[in-house]
Amino acid sequence: MSAPTIKLPAPLFARLSPHPFLLRNLTSAADPSRPATRTNGRGTQETRPLHAKASSLSHAHGSSLVRLGDTTVLCGVRGEVLPVERVPLFRPVDRGGVGLGRGELRDYDLLVPNIELATGSAPQFLPGVPPTALAQTLSTRVYSLLHSTGMVGVEDLRVWSKPAGGGEDTEMEGAGEGQEEEEGVKEEDRVVAYWVLYIDLLFVSFDGNPFDAAWAAVVAALRNTSLPVARWDPEREMVVCSRTEKRQLNVKGLPVACTAAVFEEKELGEVGTGVPEGRHWLLLDPDRLEETLCREAITMVVDCSDGETRIKSIEKQGGTAIGRELVRGFATIAEKRWKEVQGAMK
Amino acid sequence: MTATTAPKAALGVLPRSDGSAKYSHAGYTLTASVNGPIEAQRRDEHAYEAHVEVIVRPAAGVGGTRERHLESLLQSSLAQLILVKNFPRSLIQVVLQIEDSPENDYVNTKLVQASLNFAIMPALVQTAILALLSAGVPMRATATATAVAVVHQDGAKKMVVDPSPREVETASSVHVLAFTSHNGLLLAESEGDFTVGEWDDVYETAKEICCRSTPAKEGTAMVLDDEEPSATDMRQFLRSTMESKVAADLHWK
Repeated sequence: MSAPTIKLPAPLFARLSPHPFLLRNLTSAADPSRPATRTNGRGTQETRPLHAKASSLSHAHGSSLVRLGDTTVLCGVRGEVLPVERVPLFRPVDRGGVGLGRGELRDYDLLVPNIELATGSAPQFLPGVPPTALAQTLSTRVYSLLHSTGMVGVEDLRVWSKPAGGGEDTEMEGAGEGQEEEEGVKEEDRVVAYWVLYIDLLFVSFDGNPFDAAWAAVVAALRNTSLPVARWDPEREMVVCSRTEKRQLNVKGLPVACTAAVFEEKELGEVGTGVPEGRHWLLLDPDRLEETLCREAITMVVDCSDGETRIKSIEKQGGTAIGRELVRGFATIAEKRWKEVQGAMK
Repeated sequence: MTATTAPKAALGVLPRSDGSAKYSHAGYTLTASVNGPIEAQRRDEHAYEAHVEVIVRPAAGVGGTRERHLESLLQSSLAQLILVKNFPRSLIQVVLQIEDSPENDYVNTKLVQASLNFAIMPALVQTAILALLSAGVPMRATATATAVAVVHQDGAKKMVVDPSPREVETASSVHVLAFTSHNGLLLAESEGDFTVGEWDDVYETAKEICCRSTPAKEGTAMVLDDEEPSATDMRQFLRSTMESKVAADLHWK
């Protein structure tokens, strides 16, 4: 090699031509036997460890702080009582009635996720602009997944006119109920209100892979949520919440999201031709630099809490490098990620 | 009730846009217009390639977060198909207007919903591709898409192609797959509860619809027709639509 070599410090090289920079890192010419490493020092299939901390906010009913490398998300869940009189087109539910729970959650908008990408969390987020397409896309994905996984049951969010559990915990209200019956007023047990869960996510710092972090934060916060015990006060005709008693929200399963991006050797390569030209790498848990260089990405949400691996969602877009075999193989990668995240959530 | 109607399409329905298409299938009717390459806005301008902009307009109301998500999905897929490097610093704009969508016969659903609508995605992809073809935008491949729902009924598993809203609601999982004309998997969106094996079956079903070998030997085509007379062949549909349009346009010759 007689060509003159220009020495550039690594950050400058990354800044000037990010694609060749990542490519050089992956194809280490010095030693072909060495496994490919990325610019951030990780292997292609290596994820950043996930740290989850529950109940970090004192005023929310449930909260979590999730760190995934330099991506940090804060999630707070706040419950609000929604009286049924305020629900348009309310259809009464009777206890023991079957009714599709998903319908209630969806129709009355009982789960309201919102995602905010804080100014300064990454250079591309400017102050004073309306929610970006990324923020809107993320909140739609979280919303869809919350409903399709059925993590939160509608039974937990209903407030009945008579306390649940029949005659078990009604010692203090026993007198009141007796009077009602003596009066001969036949009052049906009915749903008087719903809890609406406002799930707010704030990206404190943003370094790629926002969906995995956001979803982990939502799951951790919901598992941490306990709502005050609410009951119907017939005298005042309103729902009152207990100051001391709290009830833990039942969260079904533990779905975990796992994202990978496809980095192609050829910049802006000829894709769509079935077999992509050149090599490509599947980069698990991509950071911000990698996300800007990759067009194709796959996100798989799996839940192995029943012993069996159940896929809850697959989202693959932006290219044709990931075919059938890679999707199938990705399920085992996602399974591995599930075990890691499960360990971190304990 | 299964709306197993054949897809219908018309090209060049809007006189002022560069290309347009009207498409209706499985209860959905959409109109798309394509303008491009046109001048890009300063912030969208890219030095080496064209910016693809997709706008989805719902049948009622203004677009919300769900439409933004659909737009981002379509944008990333179409940018792969269009030869964007041929038109640096320009914009190719695809506007999709949903005109009609099937209603759920069982419940009164809200008009504006935030959750993702899987059943409409194939129609969006197909309409966008037809409009792009009508506008003569150079592409490296076309794409076809289909929606498949896995329904568990009386212990038996059944696959429903182009599910109705009711079937989407009762299905255990819903899938949308799009394939390029080179049989590459362009888009795969799934939701619900399923295993890898089930996804594989769905993949097979979708591939059969989206990329059946077009003009194969006549003998094999006959056998395939006998096996599944109801399944539509989306790629053949795309082809015949274009052929009839070209034939009509060149009629004067």
